[in-house]
Formats: sequence, structure tokens, C-alpha cells
Amino acid sequence: MNGFEEPYGMLTFKAPKELNLKVLNFLYDDDELKFRFLTTLGAVHYPNNKGQELAVVYHLHNLSDNVRIRFKVFTDIDQPDIYTATGLFSAANWMERETYDFYGVNFIGHPNLKRILNVDEMDYFPMRKEYPLEDSTRTDKDDEMFGRGGTFGFGTEKAAVGHATIAEADKEDKNGRDIL
Amino acid sequence: MSEQHIKLPEGSIEKTTTTLNLGPTHPATHGVMQNILELDGERIVSTEQTIGYIHRAFEKIAERRPLYQITTLTDRMNYCSSPINNMGWHLTCEKLLGVKTPKRVDYLRIIIMELARIGDHLICNSIVGVDAGAYTGFLYLMQYRELIYEIWEEVCGSRLTTNIGRIGGFERNFNDIAFQKLEKFLKEYPPVLKEFENLFQRNRIFMDRTKGTGAISANRALNYGFTGPNLRAAGVDYDVRVHTPYSSYEDFQFNIPVGTTGDNYDRWLVRGQEMWQSLSIIEQAFVRCRSLKGLKQKYFMRMFLNIICRRKKMYIQKWKP
Repeated sequence: MNGFEEPYGMLTFKAPKELNLKVLNFLYDDDELKFRFLTTLGAVHYPNNKGQELAVVYHLHNLSDNVRIRFKVFTDIDQPDIYTATGLFSAANWMERETYDFYGVNFIGHPNLKRILNVDEMDYFPMRKEYPLEDSTRTDKDDEMFGRGGTFGFGTEKAAVGHATIAEADKEDKNGRDIL
Repeated sequence: MSEQHIKLPEGSIEKTTTTLNLGPTHPATHGVMQNILELDGERIVSTEQTIGYIHRAFEKIAERRPLYQITTLTDRMNYCSSPINNMGWHLTCEKLLGVKTPKRVDYLRIIIMELARIGDHLICNSIVGVDAGAYTGFLYLMQYRELIYEIWEEVCGSRLTTNIGRIGGFERNFNDIAFQKLEKFLKEYPPVLKEFENLFQRNRIFMDRTKGTGAISANRALNYGFTGPNLRAAGVDYDVRVHTPYSSYEDFQFNIPVGTTGDNYDRWLVRGQEMWQSLSIIEQAFVRCRSLKGLKQKYFMRMFLNIICRRKKMYIQKWKP
């Protein structure tokens, strides 16, 4: 285990993905630790983190001492295989299905790993970063009140000439974030 | 397994069970849950849930929106108590941005959140009555949810999907009418709630239909990740307001009602008791708001320099036609 940190007062650490069940089992069984409540489970996609693009995050809670921790494992996006936690937590069943549905993490040993929220015919994993949100420059939704089309705003001639383009605005926005 | 009702000849490819689509039904928000049942006569052999019917891709939408535009999405998570979800979002953003809200904002938020809790539990408890065959209680209590909605309307302008407050506080101060309406609610609701409880709590028919049904043990509830009144009805005294207080909940005194068996009746009792606790919290918050002195009496928003302000300023200036 490595990468111990404490952002916003919550202990966070990483472990190799092969060991995720061992770590979870230890945290569950140990008489002192007693992390027996799975608050949430999800994934994050880091496209620039080569070889470790997908992070699966477990939020665990010790209800008797009221301590919460965050536990992460990283996996290659080309082979996103992770052992399932359904043996320990029944709550993991649907959460892992959701994680599979949106990020394509393959939970080995899951009793019923199939899409849960999206349509069964879908052949991609929508929350991965390579899928952008709707194109802000689209013009088919003509609604001035919501900043699309109309006389000025996203995607109009006026917006393109003499006003900031989305790319410029985003660049400035990033600068703004850096200052903060 | 009981003996099968239908006897098929050797080598038949037909099934002995019947498939029945139940739903989409509305256990919470409308149309979110379908059960595909396998029936052996009238007995349910197995069931498969489909829950994705009205998935609206909030996470994907939220990826590109500024923080203040996401509050409206949180309304839709549970439209019976949308202010609580709004506050959850505001509190998260404040933690992220390092904003510390004034005490008065915390107290006003608690008033709004506890009103939402009452509004939600009131629906839950009275709808259980409807499902068990008693419509009167539901209509009777529903009139008083209207009073809650009027308070929200005075504070934020909307009733159901409230989008109440902003990151840092509220968009404007509560006016006198809002406080008058709150006083009216605090005066008129308790006797009606008492009457409602008298109608149901020891009612033979209601008890027969709820006691022992849908029982969940404490261990099972924890394993499935239950929280809130459902967990407490199973006998676990965990309440996030007490164990990890947010929004100055540590300043208030209230009890955590706990059930024993985790069945429908216990859940009903726990929700009923929580409404009384909420009423007491609102009264305490009301007194605390009044007792603040001087300028503190007027705070309703913590101003802070953040990404939103920068972004807003930038966009508005550049896109002036």
C-alpha cells in the first residue's frame, strides 16, 4: 500500500489492483479497524495516466468509531480487470454494475455484471473522458434564453467574430483556476 | 422448492414458469423501476429489476457546467425534499472552495432542510396509509405540505424543484412573510400530526398490514449500505447529523429514534418520530436566529472570490452585444 494522503480530512491510500480484495478483507475482518460499511464505490478516468488510466475508488466507513477512509486501486484501461467486492458487501453488487456501465471496469467474479442504467445495446462506456459532452457550438437548438443560437451566444456568427470562442474562454478559465 | 403446478411432457422446450412484466412503477420518482417476474402460478420464483428507465446522465452534464448550474440537477434526485439535495451540493462546493458560512446561514439552512425532511416523511408515512387502504390520512396531511411549500416559495420563488440557496448562503434574505409563514406552520402542523398518528399508530388494520412485512435485519441493512430512517428502523443508531455534524447541527439537541425489527411498521414509527424531532430542531433554530445580535442578524450569504465569479465576469463582459 502506498500514496497515503489526507485530503479534506479523509485518509486516502492506494494499493495494487491484485490486492484489492485482500485489503478490503483485512479492513473488514480486523477487530480494531471494522470497516464494514461500503458508503460508495465508483471509478475515475485519468486519460493522461498511462498504464493506470482507470481508478476504482472505495469509500469505507467504520460505524462503531465513525471513521471514514477512501481506498483506490488503479488499472490499465486496455485490461480493466478487478476482483469483485460482492462477496463482502451486498451493496457492491449494483455499484459495480454501475461502474462497469459507465467506465467499463470488468469486475471478476461478479454474479451479474451487465448494464444497469444505460440501454443494453450501448457499445461504449460514456463516462470515459474521450466522450465529450454535447458540442457547445451546435446550432440546432435555437434558444437565446439559454445561450444557444439566437442573436448572440454560443455558436453564432457574432460569438465567433469579436467575442471569445469556447477554446479561448476555456483557456482563460484554466488560467483562472491556476491563480486560485 | 414447492412442486411445480404445470407438468410438461419430456423434452418440451416450453417453460414451466410465466414471465410477467410488473411496471415501470414508481417506488420513489415516477417510472424508475420495473420488475420482470418469473411466476409459478401465483408464486414469484425470481425477479429481475430494471432501474435505468429515466436515467438522465447528471454526471455527464455536470462535467462541463459551472458549479452553480448543477444545483438544479440535484433538485431532481428526490423531488419530495429537493432543498436537502441542494444543500448537500452547496456544502460540498463550500468544502471544496474553503468557504466558511456564517452561523445565521447555517441556522436558516437547517430550518429549510428540516422542513424538507418533514415534507418528505409526511409523504412517506401518509402514502403507506394509502397503500394499506386508508386515503383520508394522506389528504389530511397533504394540506400541510402546502404550508411548507409556501415557505419555500417565499424564500426562493419555487415550490417543488426549489434550487434553493446558493454556494455560500442564500441569494437573498428571508423576508418577514417567510418567518410569519414558518410560525403559522409550527403552530398548525403539530396538532394535525398528532391526529394523524392517533388515526394510524394503534389501528388494528394498519398494524396487521405493516407489522412483520418487509423486515430487514440490522446486519443485512448495513451490508446493503442502508442509511437514514431505513437503517435506523433496523436498530442501528447512526445519524449523520449527530455523528458527523454539518451546517452547525452540533448546536442542536435532538434524539435519534431507533426501531427494532426493521419492518414497515418500524419504518413508519421512526419517520413519525423524526418529524417531531425536526419540529423541535426548527423551533431551536428559529430561537437561535432571533438571538443573534447586530450585524450577525442580517447575514444570509458569505461572499467569496471563486471560479464562478471569475467565469461569470468574463463571460458577461465579453459577450455584451
